[in-house]
Amino acid sequence: MFQNLRLSMAWLHTWFGLVLGFVLMVVFFFGALSVFDREIDRWAIPSSRFEAQPMPSFDKVLKPVFETMQPSAQRIDRLRDKVNGPVPTHFTTPTRWGAYTTHRDPVLGMFVGYEVPNAKEPETLIFASRTIDPRSGVSLPDDQLKIGSGFFYPLHYSLTFYWKNLGYWIVGLSALIMLAALVSGVIMHRKLFRELFTFRPKKNKQRSLLDLHNLTGVVALPFHFFFALTGLVIFAGIYFPITHTQLEPLHELHEELDAEETGLPHKRAGVPAPIGSVDAMVVEAQRRWAEKGMAGDVGFLAVQHVGDANSYVSIYRAGTDRIALTGEGIHFKASTGEVLREDPPSSAVDSVNEFLTGLHLQHFRHWLLRWLYVLGGLAGCVCIATGFLFFVEKRKRQHAKQGSQGARVVDALAVTTVTGMVVAALGILIANRLLPESMATGWPQRQAMERYIFWGVWALAMVHAFWRSAPVAQGRLNPAWREQCLAIAGLAIVAVMLNWVTTGGHLLRTLSASYWPVAGVDLFMLAGAGVALSAARKLKQRAQRVSAVQPNSSGPAHA
Amino acid sequence: MNAQQMQIAGRVGAALLGGYAFTWGVIALGVAGLFAAGMEFHDAEHLCNIMGFLVFLAVFLWAFAARRLSRVWVVLLGGGGLMAASASLIQRMLL
Repeated sequence: MFQNLRLSMAWLHTWFGLVLGFVLMVVFFFGALSVFDREIDRWAIPSSRFEAQPMPSFDKVLKPVFETMQPSAQRIDRLRDKVNGPVPTHFTTPTRWGAYTTHRDPVLGMFVGYEVPNAKEPETLIFASRTIDPRSGVSLPDDQLKIGSGFFYPLHYSLTFYWKNLGYWIVGLSALIMLAALVSGVIMHRKLFRELFTFRPKKNKQRSLLDLHNLTGVVALPFHFFFALTGLVIFAGIYFPITHTQLEPLHELHEELDAEETGLPHKRAGVPAPIGSVDAMVVEAQRRWAEKGMAGDVGFLAVQHVGDANSYVSIYRAGTDRIALTGEGIHFKASTGEVLREDPPSSAVDSVNEFLTGLHLQHFRHWLLRWLYVLGGLAGCVCIATGFLFFVEKRKRQHAKQGSQGARVVDALAVTTVTGMVVAALGILIANRLLPESMATGWPQRQAMERYIFWGVWALAMVHAFWRSAPVAQGRLNPAWREQCLAIAGLAIVAVMLNWVTTGGHLLRTLSASYWPVAGVDLFMLAGAGVALSAARKLKQRAQRVSAVQPNSSGPAHA
Repeated sequence: MNAQQMQIAGRVGAALLGGYAFTWGVIALGVAGLFAAGMEFHDAEHLCNIMGFLVFLAVFLWAFAARRLSRVWVVLLGGGGLMAASASLIQRMLL
């Protein structure tokens, strides 16, 4: 079918890149924003605008909260087809309590995994989650959406499309295509190294678009390759659930051997037992870390088989100062506080795996690298967006001659996923500042309203992009590009103003207090407004130039 | 569908479905084999996952680059099936 390798790679690059590029755009953009997910959370939830906190006392603060946590109605609803008979409404056997925090978390996220009676799959768990102010133990309202870690971040890896995990699969396929696009892109071009240093912005539009596409693709190639690959590795259990299907018996054998070897019970004993002082266990864990010259904070704390004689407490050191998320786990018998096991140093494979996934998820402290991630992610967006534009530029005159709508449709979809996506992201932030603290009865929950507004705004941007797309069919520019750039600039300024009006946290105050999480979000939006404005100006100049050259531009004559 | 569209559908199918089946086989055989050879279970799993996605990438590209599509299908489905079956065989021997 293809005459040679280069042509086959070009076909693959063009068509897979086009189809899944729209998804990749979402993945890259919201991935870049997720680097600062917890900072965006603070912007969106003003009551969480204080300094990051260490793990609070388990005995005084966490335990009473864990004991009252129950799964949400939505989660119970999703359980319906996984249970024989009626779905329970109240859950009584907690398999796992857990709390995870990092050096960037003022509020603390907690979860409980409950056993599900009559579940079709024996190890099915249902989760309850809660966010508390660790200083007081007071819970934050359930319907406050953490826009960063609770929405932009899940968009990045699942498109928040959970039915049959379909969103994860679409993102996973896109990541594979990203890898294939990088390799095929390199094979397509012979003069790879020259392209590293080639950008001719003054040449014709098609040439400079391709230069920018190659430049952002090649310069950031290691970054893109690394993130696409490690993203797949992080969710390998979803994409290749081999050890939970075909090799489940082998996995089970390993778990039992492992429980024997580590002394950490694999199952409940069935005998109730109270839990001892976990605070004392934390003191002991920290003493042991300090003894090894690794004094540190608690990052992850979990209680397994809660309330049972086999219950144990696992305490992990926060990975603030290194790449692995958490480590140096020490496990205690929950009823007595006796040390059952201290995790041995990671094996070679485990270290590699922790390094790969840890570098992707980046929970350690390194602000410069954090910003480089944002730049890398945005470079990926530029690479994909210029790919779309090149596709359109290359074809639109020919399509105009043939009367084909292909370039027009691709261009409108590009408007939707490039500028429309930014408009939608600003839309949810504005909604977050404008919606009442809790919605009136009869309305969806506040957090649901915010998400609906996000999708609604995005859909409007799409309608706008298609509605204004007619000039593309005549080989000209879609005015929606410029109009949505102006919308981005306007909405970004509105969002910053609303933050000031509704919280009092204007830039003079946040900057003078060096409260960077909130000041940073505001400044980032203002910078975005600046970029969007200058893009709009450039687009206007171009449109004027084109119409000056060609006063009668109603037909495809200038093709 | 004309002949060229058939060809393209065949290539895409081989790259995605064949590639998936082949990668499944690689990971399954790798996990079972390395575990049997004494590697810690989750170490074997992590190592094979990382290698598995690189294998998937390679066979995905090969499905488009290869001269004969029929050979791609045979290697990917046949190879994937054989490796998965071997993995189950190893598992049976260990249990």
